Amino acid sequence: MRWNIEYKETWLHQANPTAKLLLFLPMFVVIVFVHNPNVLINWTIGFTVLFMLFSGYRMKHVLLLFMPFLFIFISTSSSMILFGKGETTWFRWGLVHITEESFYRGVHLGFRTLLFAIFGLMFALTTKPVLLFYSLMQQAKLKPKYAYSFLAAVRLLPIMLEEFQTVHQALKVRRAAKAKGFRGKLELVKRYAIPLLSQSIRRAQRIAVSMEAKGFTNERTRTFYYEVTFGKYDVYLFVVMFVIVVVGYYMADAFPYVAIKDVR
Amino acid sequence: MIHIEQLRLKFPGAEKRLFTDVSLSIQKGEKVLLLGPSGCGKSTLLQVMAGIIPRSLDVPMKAKKLHIPKRVGYVFQDPDAQFCMPYVDEEMAFVLENLGVPREEMNEKIAHMLQRVRLRLPHVHVPIQTLSGGMKQRLAIASVLALEPDVLCLDEPTALLDEEGTKTVWETLKEVAEDRTVVIVEHKIDHVLDFVERIILFNEHGDIIADGPTHVVFSTYRSFIAEQGIWYPNVWETYEKPKTAQQPYAQADVLLHVQSLRGFRQKEEKIAIDQLTIYAGEWIAVTGENGAGKSTLLQSLMKLIRTEGDMYWQQQPLANDELLYDHIAFVFQNPEFQFVTNRVDDELAYASRLEKRPEHEVDDEVERLLERFHLNEQRYLHPYQLSVGQKRRLSVAASVTDSHRLLLLDEPTFGQDAKNTFALLEWLEAYRQQGKAIVMVTHDERIVSEFATRRWIIENGKLVADEPVAPRMFVRGGIG
Repeated sequence: MRWNIEYKETWLHQANPTAKLLLFLPMFVVIVFVHNPNVLINWTIGFTVLFMLFSGYRMKHVLLLFMPFLFIFISTSSSMILFGKGETTWFRWGLVHITEESFYRGVHLGFRTLLFAIFGLMFALTTKPVLLFYSLMQQAKLKPKYAYSFLAAVRLLPIMLEEFQTVHQALKVRRAAKAKGFRGKLELVKRYAIPLLSQSIRRAQRIAVSMEAKGFTNERTRTFYYEVTFGKYDVYLFVVMFVIVVVGYYMADAFPYVAIKDVR
Repeated sequence: MIHIEQLRLKFPGAEKRLFTDVSLSIQKGEKVLLLGPSGCGKSTLLQVMAGIIPRSLDVPMKAKKLHIPKRVGYVFQDPDAQFCMPYVDEEMAFVLENLGVPREEMNEKIAHMLQRVRLRLPHVHVPIQTLSGGMKQRLAIASVLALEPDVLCLDEPTALLDEEGTKTVWETLKEVAEDRTVVIVEHKIDHVLDFVERIILFNEHGDIIADGPTHVVFSTYRSFIAEQGIWYPNVWETYEKPKTAQQPYAQADVLLHVQSLRGFRQKEEKIAIDQLTIYAGEWIAVTGENGAGKSTLLQSLMKLIRTEGDMYWQQQPLANDELLYDHIAFVFQNPEFQFVTNRVDDELAYASRLEKRPEHEVDDEVERLLERFHLNEQRYLHPYQLSVGQKRRLSVAASVTDSHRLLLLDEPTFGQDAKNTFALLEWLEAYRQQGKAIVMVTHDERIVSEFATRRWIIENGKLVADEPVAPRMFVRGGIG
């Protein structure tokens, strides 16, 4: 079964996974403390362009992946817009109360989630799990014990998905794939979960035993098949991000889209 | 090389000790087969020899003397449960990393190891998931060889492989293990007998009852070995199959007729059949290579995947899929996936209760099934607590109800010992005699020639042959 989408390797893929983490994670914090919607709009535009141009994926796939986040954008911002508090009323109808303040706060919230989504997707789509853990072992001194456990777990996921389909078919044949009522539904969850979990737990234990049988211990110093280092692409990424952040910030001051500079 | 004196071992929570004062020693270069009934502790003993117990699995044990080799290569049974990395080269590299091999030497070593097990791949960076079972096991052997082991421990390495995979794995093992010490636990011993020079035979209490040269042990204890359900060469010659096998059924009315059936997986057409007719009293064996579409055909007949085409049950068009499940039963390869309740007797009652039959009728039915499938003693157990053979019996018993007239089975004898296989085949034959039909995916040519009345060969998602199987002459007794 194929679960992969095709992509081209770009310089974003070449950048060091640990470096990407170190650059992206602080952004999550910074974004939370930015209250000027103009800044967020500029950043969203900047990072979207970066992502679209250099993710290496087909535009069709990128847009498809964006769909759920657009939905979150609309749902978070709309609930804030429709039911938020504020002084300058634009529209009122029963519970619905749209004010200027709540509108901008909603839009601001929406862009914040969108930015989170872009950083999350950008990291996930341009980083191979294997290289991430090799990098974390080599640059962040993550213990191999944890790194390889995660990698083994990643290997189990597609196997579990296939097993889920088989369990579904098996239950369908026995007319046990549907249930009525709350208790029935609970029973149904158990019917799926127990075979899947029992298989995975046994498999996980076997994999652990076999890893140790292949000489995997914490005692020896290990070598690495993939040597992951910091390099020029990390510098590129830092510079590009720095430019987007700084330019976006000053443009927001110089050419604001909306007059409000603080949505609080 | 290996020396164990008075080993005692007991699993926590178990009633009895698995081993009481077991002693044995194995010399350098010996090829030894551990043989015995399932549950006698052969695999556990192998794990003690490899140091897996108690290093990785903490099981209380004691031995007066225990000398085990430092470097052991262990090949496990389940091809999907011995790799931690997604790609072939990464998995090989994992072992080399553990050994501290410098990075520059890795590529050459990986290529060399893969060549030794004759694993020819277009590229070393191939996803392990795309390999067949036999290739996965050869990869496991390759990665174990990288450890430069003094002893190779093989724990039923081919139990979950088809005939082709089994053959290639043993060929590989014979080549790479020629000058090493090898200890094997295996149930299918056709390919092993000419390789091992010594057999250690256990009884069900975990005691050694024989230890000596292969041919001596094998000929002296032949009937004991046969009773344990071990697949030994010529097992079919000594087997007396039911007299009705392959005899045509009198009232062969049409059960299922299929017209231009096509089955899809993720939009891709995986199987295309012009037409098929299944008659009452038929036993159809579906054969073909791995990935040809045998299982897909069964799933299409059951409409478990997206299908197109017309299906007629006893000349009537089928109105909906639910009706299909009234007439056709399906037994999956892994019985565990089909269990829906927490107790054996509830499992057997499930179908009758769905039909809302009165409880006393359900009880009678359950009693009958428990008796028929020899599950009386296990009636209060959780299905998962059963042995492999019992699980198989339960899954068949629970899937098939009176309303069914066609039974589809996906490799039901896979991983089963000889005893369980014969018992299942006999039950299926009796079932066929009631005017039901059987469609069974199998890799076992012997089952086809001894039991099937018709054979479908699937190739690249197409039915390339649909031919009757000529009944074989009834052979009584064994040869030699």
